[in-house]
Amino acid sequence: MPLRWLKSGQNWMIAAICLVLVLSLYGAIQVDWTDAASILNYLGRLTGILGLALLLLAAALITRVPGFDRHFGGLTKLWKTHHLLGAGSLVLLMAHPVLLALAATDVSLSAAVTLLFPPLSNWQIWSGWLSLILMMIFLAPSFSFFGRPEYQRWKFVHRLAGPAVVLALIHAYQYGRTMPAHAERWLWLLLSILAVGAVLWRFVFSRRIARLKYSVEKVVAVANNLVELTLMPEQRHLKYQAGQFVYLVPYDRSLSAGYGEEHPYTVSSSPDEPVLRIAIKDLGDASRAIQTIQPGSLVTIEGPYGDFFPANGNPKQLWIAGGIGITPFLGRARYLLRNQIPTDVHLIYCVQDEARSRFLDELEEIAKQLDGFNITIHYFYRMGPLNAEFLTEHCPEINQRDVFICGPQPLNNLAKRLLSTAGIPGSRIHTEEFELL
Amino acid sequence: MKKFVYTLFIAFWASIGTLVTVHALSSDGPEASAAAVDELPVYSLEDIAAHNTLDDCWMAMEGKVYDFTEYIPKHPTPPAIMEAWCGKEATEGMRTKGYGRDHSEAAWQMAEAYLIGMLKEE
Repeated sequence: MPLRWLKSGQNWMIAAICLVLVLSLYGAIQVDWTDAASILNYLGRLTGILGLALLLLAAALITRVPGFDRHFGGLTKLWKTHHLLGAGSLVLLMAHPVLLALAATDVSLSAAVTLLFPPLSNWQIWSGWLSLILMMIFLAPSFSFFGRPEYQRWKFVHRLAGPAVVLALIHAYQYGRTMPAHAERWLWLLLSILAVGAVLWRFVFSRRIARLKYSVEKVVAVANNLVELTLMPEQRHLKYQAGQFVYLVPYDRSLSAGYGEEHPYTVSSSPDEPVLRIAIKDLGDASRAIQTIQPGSLVTIEGPYGDFFPANGNPKQLWIAGGIGITPFLGRARYLLRNQIPTDVHLIYCVQDEARSRFLDELEEIAKQLDGFNITIHYFYRMGPLNAEFLTEHCPEINQRDVFICGPQPLNNLAKRLLSTAGIPGSRIHTEEFELL
Repeated sequence: MKKFVYTLFIAFWASIGTLVTVHALSSDGPEASAAAVDELPVYSLEDIAAHNTLDDCWMAMEGKVYDFTEYIPKHPTPPAIMEAWCGKEATEGMRTKGYGRDHSEAAWQMAEAYLIGMLKEE
């Protein structure tokens, strides 16, 4: 049990936060618990310390080293953790100056206002302010403060996180007095090393080491808004498992958008194929443009990420796919067929109508050739939303299966609700989400 | 969660705005205290030396005299740190914090709230 606990990245984060909290408790010794101002002052410092710790932990999570995300249950869940840490950090760091100022009102109102807005020469305070303002700017799109952001602009604005973290560290370094000895400085040093390492990997090393070169061999139009690219390795071939995803960067000058930009796509080929296949639906500017990518052009692939199908899972499985969410299952089904792996899989494929049942012919062919692989298709326009009766009617022994769900968020949520009502424990329900946040 | 963070974002600026507004409207501005400096009593170092305990702690700094008795429990360090300077000329303590780093401008301004007089020039 303790070992399994250690394997979860989320638990590392909780442990790190607890450590910071315990160290900060030292400062509580000096607090006069009968004096509101003294308590507020301590809480003000505590929120500052915790807020910065969360910010640095969030920064450390951007590394995207292939395999690291599996400790968090896949890259999407890693990002959820990153997002949560970022939100916590912003909330705490907003509370930090307000609490300290409120504590100072005990001295005088002007002391409180001077604390917040000191003369310009007091750069220690102003670096904190600047950091907080930058955080508000770069986090505003992440929390849709002013509407839903456009992906590339959001990415660009998010780079302000770098200067915000540096300014926050400069600010915090001047005020280390809540923890014993110089523990605060050591803590900031350690967390900064993690964060800097993460940034270096992500923006320097990964670009040189982790991006594999591929050339586009074939572009198959599966439908009018969906292509499957066949990619040939130029040097080393990516090692991955079925259902994982990669970051693809196209280098085709004829593309109308997305040249040199990285975007995540699911691998649809089986890991033992000599080529890499990636199915791409036009969901945004870059994925729309890539529908017309030229055969022969170069792309780079970084990955693999995701942790959808566990290595030694229960062989009795129910797969619920929605729309383009079929791609990880397609990769897995191709893998099962190519290796003739004995299986007991029931796939429920949810689509709007017949025109949108992508890859259905191939999947039905696999079902014919592979014992224990069955498909039921669910048409939304005819049958309405998926319901419990449909699941139990078409999928035998549903209670003994591990369930894998990949589709649009509303379908994922609906399926999870139906399954937990049917008594399937959460530990047996695995989801993969396309939408990042 | 987005709504939650947004709500706190608004609450943050509302609190800062309220604080600044109330301060601007109140008479407890720094100008009021600055004007009164000339009329403050003058104390000698001997006068100050009589107030050298935590329960009655005066200090002289940069030619001014402060009564920090009320403030000591609010100071971030343990009381013993400030106690060492009670009844003394404490400019050095204020300027160095014991390890060569000056107090912030905000701290210096905060001290003005405890100003009780001027130091007699020797």
